[in-house]
Amino acid sequence: MRGRRAFIIITIHVLLLAGFAWMLQRINEESMAGLGSFGGQATYASASVGRGIFVGLLLLQTLMVAVLAPAATAGAISSEREHQTLDLLTVTPISSFAIVVGKLMSALAWIFVLVLASIPVTALVFVFGGVAPDDVVRGYAVLFATVIGLGSIGIFFSALTRRTGASTGLTFVATLVFTVGSLFLFVYMATTAEVSSNGMRRPPPQAILWLNPFVAQADVACGTEDGASGGSCSFMSSILGPADDLAIPVTDPTKPVPAFRGGGVGVMEEADVATAAVFDTNRDRFWPKTVLSFLILATVLTTASIQFVSPTRRWRPSLPGPVRRRIRRRSAR
Amino acid sequence: MTAIIETEGLVKRYVGTVAVGGVDLAIDEGEIFGLVGPNGAGKTTMLRMLATLLVPTSGDARIAGESIRRNPMAVRRVIGYMPDAFGVYDDMKVWEYLDFFGRCYGLGPGQRRRMIGDLLELVDLADKRDAYVVSLSRGMQQRLCLAHALVHDPKVLLLDEPASGLDPRARVELRELLRELRSLGKTIVISSHILPELEELCTSVAIVDRGRVLASGTISDISQKLRIGEVLRVRVLGDEEAIESARSWFEAQADIASATTDLSGQIEIGFRGDESGAAALLAAAIRAKLAIASYSPAATDLQELFLQVTDRDAAAQDAVPGSGAAA
Repeated sequence: MRGRRAFIIITIHVLLLAGFAWMLQRINEESMAGLGSFGGQATYASASVGRGIFVGLLLLQTLMVAVLAPAATAGAISSEREHQTLDLLTVTPISSFAIVVGKLMSALAWIFVLVLASIPVTALVFVFGGVAPDDVVRGYAVLFATVIGLGSIGIFFSALTRRTGASTGLTFVATLVFTVGSLFLFVYMATTAEVSSNGMRRPPPQAILWLNPFVAQADVACGTEDGASGGSCSFMSSILGPADDLAIPVTDPTKPVPAFRGGGVGVMEEADVATAAVFDTNRDRFWPKTVLSFLILATVLTTASIQFVSPTRRWRPSLPGPVRRRIRRRSAR
Repeated sequence: MTAIIETEGLVKRYVGTVAVGGVDLAIDEGEIFGLVGPNGAGKTTMLRMLATLLVPTSGDARIAGESIRRNPMAVRRVIGYMPDAFGVYDDMKVWEYLDFFGRCYGLGPGQRRRMIGDLLELVDLADKRDAYVVSLSRGMQQRLCLAHALVHDPKVLLLDEPASGLDPRARVELRELLRELRSLGKTIVISSHILPELEELCTSVAIVDRGRVLASGTISDISQKLRIGEVLRVRVLGDEEAIESARSWFEAQADIASATTDLSGQIEIGFRGDESGAAALLAAAIRAKLAIASYSPAATDLQELFLQVTDRDAAAQDAVPGSGAAA
């Protein structure tokens, strides 16, 4: 990316995002107007619109990043092999670590720029309310971790394979496994699990979903919702089980008493909607695990990639010993 | 002179094959050392091991005193490597290419500016400074790749088939360039399967086949050491039958390694003896009433040497069944 092209692409990217945000706003406004059951509580309706835009933008960007990050890195090292430039780099005193991490970072730098450029668009939700700055920080933490984690999958396969085509294929299969496959597996296990003594099906281990960026963003979205009733939160509850102490509102006498809202877990009098302090138990139950898992995944895969790139590596992928010996015997004959 | 490159029992084994099977070489400082051998002889594998791009299965090599096994980083600083097939980054200009590799070796900005100017001058690409690398001709790219190997002023240059794919003019230019580099005190190891190219250039050669060094030293050394002696070309008058009987007569004499008939009807004799022996052989041939029209020694060039050495090796392996199998 040199010169004017980068500028043009960023501009188009931001314009498309802004257009998408505007459409989300219209959708949410219309659905709010259609409900009409909030007794003229414009603040709440506005907050709902803000949340709708926020969640939509996060999911869209997660989808974008889940496509772009693996695509950007899947050719990083294999293309150097194909262009026969990897040897030229390896004979310099630059370490394999520096080559792999440098390749990863330069491939991802462009995506980081796109994600960073979207922050002002996302910040538009503050106009509507319903989303706090720290929710945005959470969302972007997950986004950046997703970029690094899925990007490292690309680097890994591009260090492992000789051909960029093969690397791209494997990378996308792996990405699909983490995003779609893990959720499918979870749903399968959840619906077919044994019914335990309390009449409930035992929930499958949530670790299956740790590397699913969409679930993590749903958790971030749940943090902005005002109870277990919201879409994201009920989804998260189905994964994590209901939050502890969910129905115990923390009353703060200094705050004004909010109006009654429909839905939700019982009537929550005297709860402060604006700060959402009441529902803190609903927050941060899942996404930190995703961020941590992605960072660990990136570390592991980068270390493996360094091994593949280094000519003096100790471990290299090979056939198991007995098979190798049989081949040697056959060729010696 | 002291050896700047020493290898001890260098072996590279892959599953089922032995690419390099125990190579001991000593290359003196300031030499242009040629590795000659057919395709697949193990030349590239040898060079890649010296360039620390492959770890030997066993054995070791020291370049400027540093082991390629124990201290590859130190080796990388004293060698410049130009691979057989090299790539270029397509979105880079010529000076950026050299600047990039200068950075890889940790050169400062001032050093890099000076180095780029000097090297482009040396490889005659000064007027292409701002051209994109992909726009250069094959020969120019080859010279640029050579320049890239010189970025850090290495003592040793490892060049894998540097002249492949070059037109005759570019070859001559490359040869001049290598001579110039030698005069700058560099030791150059160069591999090729094109023998005449090395013959004019190299101070010594190693003949490599099937992963082993069959002979090494200066060209005259090798021919003496192996007692290959001379090749005599004899033209005998008469029809095919007469030529064949003359050939078999020669073959039966003492000190004859081989006697073959070439397409033009000349008999080529590998002769182990010296000049007086050759004179005695001629006298004997005349006594045997062979109609000899011409009788002269053929110059032993590298090609000849190479063919003889590899033939011998093949014959030796045929004689001992099983020894040719991968160790």
